[in-house]
Amino acid sequence: MNSGTSSPVLGNRLQTRVQGFLDRLRDRGLRSGLAAGVDLSRALQALPILDRNAVREACRATVAKSPAELAVVDRVFEEYFGSFDLPVTPPSEEGKLPQARDRLGRAPSGSTTPAEEREQVEEELHGRYSPEAPAPVPRRVPLASERLRRYRAGARRFRRSVATLPGRRWRAHPVGSVDLRRTARAGLRSGGEFVELARRNRSPRRADLVILWDVSGSMREHTTDLFGLVYALHRVVRRTRVFAFGHDLVEVTQLLAGRSYERALPLLADRLRPTGGGTRIAHCLNEFRRRHESEVRRTSTLIVLSDGWDLGEPSELADQFRRLRGRVHRLVWVNPYAAQVGFRPATAALQVALPYVDLLASPEDFPLPHGAVRRAGVPAPG
Amino acid sequence: MTEPASGFADSVDSVIRALSGQHYVTERGLATAVYLAIRLEKPLLIEGEPGCGKTEIAKALSAASGGELIRLQCYEGLDAAAALYEWDYPRQLLTIRLHERDRTTAQLESEIYTERFLLRRPLLRALEGKGPVRPVLLIDELDRADEEFEGLLLEVLSEFQVTVPEIGTIRASTIPLVILTSNRTRELGDAIKRRCLYAYIGYPSAEKEVEILRQKVPELSLHSAQEIAEFVGRLRTREDLAKRPGVAETLDWTAALLALREHSLRPETIVETLGLLLKDAHDLETYRKEKVAELLAAP
Repeated sequence: MNSGTSSPVLGNRLQTRVQGFLDRLRDRGLRSGLAAGVDLSRALQALPILDRNAVREACRATVAKSPAELAVVDRVFEEYFGSFDLPVTPPSEEGKLPQARDRLGRAPSGSTTPAEEREQVEEELHGRYSPEAPAPVPRRVPLASERLRRYRAGARRFRRSVATLPGRRWRAHPVGSVDLRRTARAGLRSGGEFVELARRNRSPRRADLVILWDVSGSMREHTTDLFGLVYALHRVVRRTRVFAFGHDLVEVTQLLAGRSYERALPLLADRLRPTGGGTRIAHCLNEFRRRHESEVRRTSTLIVLSDGWDLGEPSELADQFRRLRGRVHRLVWVNPYAAQVGFRPATAALQVALPYVDLLASPEDFPLPHGAVRRAGVPAPG
Repeated sequence: MTEPASGFADSVDSVIRALSGQHYVTERGLATAVYLAIRLEKPLLIEGEPGCGKTEIAKALSAASGGELIRLQCYEGLDAAAALYEWDYPRQLLTIRLHERDRTTAQLESEIYTERFLLRRPLLRALEGKGPVRPVLLIDELDRADEEFEGLLLEVLSEFQVTVPEIGTIRASTIPLVILTSNRTRELGDAIKRRCLYAYIGYPSAEKEVEILRQKVPELSLHSAQEIAEFVGRLRTREDLAKRPGVAETLDWTAALLALREHSLRPETIVETLGLLLKDAHDLETYRKEKVAELLAAP
């Protein structure tokens, strides 16, 4: 550990424990840096450290930075500090001693801690682990750097074509309203004489993307192109969130952030555990709406990468697409087979989704300078 | 570490009491985060479901501490001119025209770029707070602002100072208590999160919601409060809802039921007033009388 958490007041033994706790959190993927360590040490100076709950709340407030990280902090806290005797834990209402807990701080069957409950919910959300099923994403798929470069160029074109709404930021422009700031500056330069009125207008709103990427078994052979496309879009469009789905929905945006193509793919492969049970597009869209709909802007472009093979009821899928279409600016479906000669959107999922889709494209369209992606900016049909 | 104002934030319990005095019911976790934000002089980032009290806590803290509440509402396109300071251009233009004959350009320039012509926006006002009581700076819905605006906040939130090129650096003599809120419509940058303590406000438990209702609407009977909290709690568990009702919606709905003199929940009344709880057309369409009755009857 570092010396960033050193504190003259905090005892050496507790300081060591705190450092160990932060190390454990880093092992679990939390990016808790020096600042979090310093904050936690300072917080523990301001709180009664024999009060286990107070220490836990201090860890939550200083180290976690999102609801998902709160769950990790809770879990690691239970594991790491679970073996401590708790001198200030009050007895239960009947005067009995608190229930015994095992080494990991788990309560006996029949009662669960909030952290365990969250873990159970996470397990549910991630689907059932299936050792027989192949991993949804292979750990390594080589993609030529030239092809990746072309995907990035395509992603930049796509970004321009979907950013069609006016934003709230101003830019200098020969036509528009009078810009007092620039007019005053120019007037000062010309000795108080306002020779010309500077003008401004609104610059276009930036694109923001939500990508729903089907990682079920039928899409496995297309991983090279699809991950190349997802990676390029995420790199080029700053506001991009990426969700992988198959049997269930998992957000993977953070695994791509700031990582190279070669480094990000193994992380994804580790995160997306093999699951059996087939693709449930409607279920996953419903999950997405339930958990993330409030985070989707009306200016967002929703991109679904899928071949359309689905286990669910087409009517449910149509309902999900109808609801989502009303929430986003553009809805794009990327089908790996769309560029093939004689392709027809024959799957039930694609047929029910098409009335709500602004553009049906293939991943191969993106690298082309005049590919179908140029049509993403046209108004929705109907 | 600055000592907090006596009685207001001496301990986590005193924060809970002070907030309770403002009819703000809080859980211990959130109160601990507030206490630490005061003691460590760090901004507190609060994320959570809409309508669950993120903005309200800043108002309650301001009222409890006696510090001025300075609010900056974020939106896309928010920039330094609206958040920090702006020069009073019309006055500058008039001054230039008035003195163009009797002053040189250099004299004019040194005159119009002084504090007299500075329009102070919320961030600068918060840093210029004087006196023993810390102002409460609420930066509301930061996720609505652009990423560039977060960069602008970094200097303010870590150094509590602002640099105006024409005047110099303005430092806070009294560090404000800074509350940032976000509805998570986008992920905030790591740099801003690193500078803040963090708390998350989810939907309250039924017991807590009853307590909130009783505090905010004292004329409501315990039985009605329990009935309302249970119904709203059941509604929030429905997966087919596009937008779940927050505490703000529960309070609005309770006020409507009281205005209609409804002391017990009936399916007909619920359907008639459901627009106060559900703010999505499709949700309203889905929750007709049968579904409401089914929800009411649920154990």
